[in-house]
Amino acid sequence: MTGGVIVVGGGIAGVSTAAALRSGGFDGDLTLIDAGELPYDRPPLSKEFLSGAKEIKDIALQPEGWYDDQSVRLVSRTTVTALRPGDGAVELSDGTFVRADRVVLATGGRAVRPPIPGCGNSRVHVLRTAEDADRLRAALVPGATVLVVGAGLIGAEVASTARTLGCEVTLADPVCPPLFQVFGEDVAAWLHGVHAEHGIKTVHSGVDSLDEQDADVVVLGVGMVPETTLAEAAELETDRGIIVDHGQVTSNPAVLAVGDPARLRHATRTGHWEAAQHDGQRAAATILGNPAPAATAPWFWTHRHALHVEVVGDLGAATTTVVRGSLGEPPFAAFGLHGGRVVGAVAVNDPTAVRAARRMIDRAIAADPARLADPATDLRRLLRGEGTPP
Amino acid sequence: MSAGIRVASLDDIREGEGIAIDKSVTGTADNIALLRDDGGSVWALDDTCTHEEASLAEGWVEGGLVECPLHASKFCLKNGEVQGLPATRNTCPHRVEVRDGEVYLFPNEAP
Repeated sequence: MTGGVIVVGGGIAGVSTAAALRSGGFDGDLTLIDAGELPYDRPPLSKEFLSGAKEIKDIALQPEGWYDDQSVRLVSRTTVTALRPGDGAVELSDGTFVRADRVVLATGGRAVRPPIPGCGNSRVHVLRTAEDADRLRAALVPGATVLVVGAGLIGAEVASTARTLGCEVTLADPVCPPLFQVFGEDVAAWLHGVHAEHGIKTVHSGVDSLDEQDADVVVLGVGMVPETTLAEAAELETDRGIIVDHGQVTSNPAVLAVGDPARLRHATRTGHWEAAQHDGQRAAATILGNPAPAATAPWFWTHRHALHVEVVGDLGAATTTVVRGSLGEPPFAAFGLHGGRVVGAVAVNDPTAVRAARRMIDRAIAADPARLADPATDLRRLLRGEGTPP
Repeated sequence: MSAGIRVASLDDIREGEGIAIDKSVTGTADNIALLRDDGGSVWALDDTCTHEEASLAEGWVEGGLVECPLHASKFCLKNGEVQGLPATRNTCPHRVEVRDGEVYLFPNEAP
């Protein structure tokens, strides 16, 4: 019989931890502590929630009744002020204590606010929470001039949404093309070019000061810092994140960490939605003493200008790239290969290509570049080893 | 009990894939996805993912599940149960029969 578990933070990592504990048969006390009202999903914050097409109730990670159904005690509008691993407890913002044998930190991160002049100005926004999105939506009125600093995933999505709301958008980034490390050079350049086709002015430059910017609204999309305050105060090992082992356990065996703040010592964080979900599933397996779920190639999606873009694996590890279809004419995909095997793929409006690539990576299946590149090749059959030409 | 609606030939659906049958044919609120798993059996679920606007008939069918083409939520072919976020609601299963290579659908009947 395992004692109680407290999960600190109700993002995808925290909620996935709770869900995986219950589905794995955990029958002890389970408490989820979250600063918000009802845990919600963050990807829509830059898209449908920002545009107003969805409300907060539409983006709940689980329906309200789920917590009771699963016997998860949801403590809303509450933060944890201190970990007391020595006492087997955490201290809450209302001054009370909750006891548990294990604590799972799913504390997420904060949007970076670089220390440049004008950064604290009220027209400067970041986007991390539903409150941030509400505040930004109120400013994105038709005709407003908007400067988006950083053309990464969040910056590109916000620029795209702001454009649909009728704003005049400038998107600035010193990297050319932005996100070339994740999409590969050619696809990154094409995707960045799509912004201009939709009337967004793209500027190849960093921003040193926000004082001289005359935009009505400035949105900073320049990255995330892992939230490690509680971990540091409890003297857990941290280094650009909370250091965890392959079972998500921190330097204190009673404390685990998942999602954005958790980092394996010799790895970079992938920081995406599904990775956070998998962290939660691994943490639950550790607590239950079950084998860890099988690892799978990292995957994420992003959405801009009505294009559905997905990436799997690591295109940076590729030595050759083959394009399936025509680059710039969706649906198309690019597969990155190394040593005759697919190591990564990016697809625009072609989900099947990415699902096939993921299985090729996970199963280490050799792939013929010419057949991958041919849109007439059925990737499902290729994966099954069918229809191979003589 | 109805005799079912003949909606497709088995050969119309490749293993591991699906086709959507329009609601004007099925008489249901949503289109119905006919999904053929890797063992060859055919299953039917409401076609629209319960998370966002996406057709499960365009999903990846494997291991008794269909994976949504948009955000990869998975649904059980047999009973429509959701197996993973971001979707949180089950989808509706329908009964299917294959007779003499033809696929008959029984909309709103439990499989």
